[in-house]
Amino acid sequence: MSRAIPYLRRTVQTLSFLFLLYLVIRTAFPMEIKIPVDLYLRLDPFIAIISTLTHQGLIERMLPAFGVLLLVMIFGNFFCGWFCPMGAVIDFFDRILFRERKRTKPFDDRPLRRFRYGLFIFSVMAGLMAFQVMYLLDPISLITRTLVISFYPPAILVFNHLLPQVQNLLPNNPFIASSIPLPVFKVNLFIFIFFIAILALGVIRKRFWCRYLCPLGTLFSLFSRLRILKRSVTDNCTDCQKCVKECPVGAIPEKAPQNYRQQDCIACFKCLECPPGGVSFHFNRPRWKTVDGVNLSRRYVLGSFAFGCVSALMIKTNPLQSESGLKNNRLVRPPGALPEEEFIAVCTGCGECLKVCPNNALQSTFLEAGLAGLYTPRLVSRIGYCEEFCNFCGRVCPTEAIRPLTLEEKRLTQMGVAHINKTRCIAWDTEKICLVCNEQCSYQAIVGDEKKRPIVKEEKCTGCGICENKCPVDGESAIIVYASGVQKKLKPEDSNNTKSG
Amino acid sequence: MDHSTNKKISRRQFIKGAAAAATLPLLSNSLPFYGSLAHASGEADLVIAKSGSPAQLLQAAMTPLGGMGRFVKKGQRVVIKANIAWARTPEQACTNNPELLYALVKMCYEAGAKRVAVWDHTCDNYQFCFTRSGLKEAGQKAGADVFSGHGRNVYKKVEIPKAKKLKTAEVLRDVLEADTFINFPLPKHHFATELTLGMKNFIGIVWDMEQLHKIDLHQCIADINTLRKPDLVVMDAIRILTTNGPKGPGKTEDIGEVITSTDIVAADAYAAAFFKHPKTGKPFKPEEIKFVKNAYDLGLGEIDLSKVRMKKVSAT
Repeated sequence: MSRAIPYLRRTVQTLSFLFLLYLVIRTAFPMEIKIPVDLYLRLDPFIAIISTLTHQGLIERMLPAFGVLLLVMIFGNFFCGWFCPMGAVIDFFDRILFRERKRTKPFDDRPLRRFRYGLFIFSVMAGLMAFQVMYLLDPISLITRTLVISFYPPAILVFNHLLPQVQNLLPNNPFIASSIPLPVFKVNLFIFIFFIAILALGVIRKRFWCRYLCPLGTLFSLFSRLRILKRSVTDNCTDCQKCVKECPVGAIPEKAPQNYRQQDCIACFKCLECPPGGVSFHFNRPRWKTVDGVNLSRRYVLGSFAFGCVSALMIKTNPLQSESGLKNNRLVRPPGALPEEEFIAVCTGCGECLKVCPNNALQSTFLEAGLAGLYTPRLVSRIGYCEEFCNFCGRVCPTEAIRPLTLEEKRLTQMGVAHINKTRCIAWDTEKICLVCNEQCSYQAIVGDEKKRPIVKEEKCTGCGICENKCPVDGESAIIVYASGVQKKLKPEDSNNTKSG
Repeated sequence: MDHSTNKKISRRQFIKGAAAAATLPLLSNSLPFYGSLAHASGEADLVIAKSGSPAQLLQAAMTPLGGMGRFVKKGQRVVIKANIAWARTPEQACTNNPELLYALVKMCYEAGAKRVAVWDHTCDNYQFCFTRSGLKEAGQKAGADVFSGHGRNVYKKVEIPKAKKLKTAEVLRDVLEADTFINFPLPKHHFATELTLGMKNFIGIVWDMEQLHKIDLHQCIADINTLRKPDLVVMDAIRILTTNGPKGPGKTEDIGEVITSTDIVAADAYAAAFFKHPKTGKPFKPEEIKFVKNAYDLGLGEIDLSKVRMKKVSAT
């Protein structure tokens, strides 16, 4: 029985990762899947707690996460070892690529274990004020973001490349399969490097990220101190040190293998493989006290606290974030996005909306929204436009940073307004008849004058960007959507196609 | 690609093939070879069917033309270029009538088509166009493949020798390679070109459609139509869009007609009269639509309807 547990765990981990992959793949048109595609994010209590605090209100979608927290208080930190897809990937690469280096001296990890709490305090403090580092480090957000931004476009590229070659092998073209329009994301390389760096840390220590950096893991650690399912060792222990060596997170101290640090244990049950069979798990009274804990001095806690606050203040006083003239008016947010400051405080940058956007219109920011808005979605019309009858981004956002709008509401939400650059516009600059923008506009916000030159009607424009996207002028479009500050609700009009029947 | 061309046929193969070719038509029920001879040409070149359900209208409009058997032979691959350009519902008359598409595909299969493909390069996202317009469902229900030209691999770069301005273009390969090509437009108002008609519908086989606006839209429409003359034009004028074209939504008018023709310029010339000129308030004359005039100048068809063998029929 105890022999089977490592295999069982590996199987569960693999299935968990594949399930996440499946959900990410299904995060696409027509969105008829019954399971919420952002399930993993909704089960993430770290995101739940932080976004509830920054949102200053309960987010309905995130409620399941508190259930996970409750389970952790019963079984200990089972999530990291069994279900975390990031943990599964790290375990996999620790085995095949980034193997732990052999050491002669034992590795003293107390400073690193302390650092974990310091980083946690720092990121939470900074996050609650303005600087969203914690979302960048959250493992669930991190893995979906990486899958969507860094791995999804290459997968499509390979598919498109192989498609004609497979078709050539088959005689007489029995079926027609279109290649898929290639999705593109500007920040793919940064996110990829960050991801690989995390995996490569496994060279120093197995599951380095999980043990010493992951904020979700730290949160689970805090709560699993109160776990009820506890490890106990009988007197049969021969001090063979097998469990000490096998423990994937080093939660069993060398000097006293009868004990364990319940906060670090990920409930993998590997230590049940005890040669004399002395290890077992039982339900017992919770105890906050632990053995061999880290020494979190007052100085250390206050230091991390202050560092978090000060860095958030730095970000707040940066011209990119404040109401200075450097404000980026091309930063068009998805339809239904919260007001900018709230939006960047709640958006986790998970990339679900980027994946679901049918036109690849949503792009991840780099520094366009300032450091605080790193990896948040924005509408880049020249790459894609916001589809009229689509509200998918609001439907997949786990923290409701993009509010779930009905199609009717969405079609009346003004994200920005289009402006014509008359020196570049074909119709205004030359005598030719173009009017692609008028032809494409879904809301009849662009009309032609008597010489068939386009004019924008601001009161109807939603800033969807189809005009900017389809403008035939080379390079930068002759019609550009500028953000309208806070998103407005337009007045419904009969001619504005409000009837959806 | 051309492994079939450099193969030599042995005598035995030739005799086998000849025997099969002679006996197969005799064995099959519909006798396609003899059947098609009987309907080599119809009694009219432009047929207008009025009053009836979409299926009845199509049936009535096809008979004087010689029936579908004249255009679709047994075992042929048929491509229909429909208008599924926008994510609009059928009632808004910005896309084809789904019932008519269903009837058209069925009719092709009844005439013995091996495969019918319905194509469009949509302007809105194809997934939304296909579902909202109801055309994918209608086409597939009738047994056709409904394809979208959103991937560049289904296009082929070709030269257009007869063109005046658009010398090369990337167009849907399937349209060029099909045995029978049916243009299935619907007439609509269009702000830039005044009207969207059959020839404008053909623009939807081009990869970078927006670029044509940059060159000279009217001439490009005429130029691209020299590439392949449709074997059959089925114009869906059951309900037309008269304002806010081509995307709509705007005012619609129930004309209740289906127009079939072998001459796309004549069909367009006829359909132009459905619309009123914004300045004069009178119905459009064919010459007033520049791309129809340009196409006539290129010799694509007859613009003067008095020279066309026209027939009006009632479906009921």
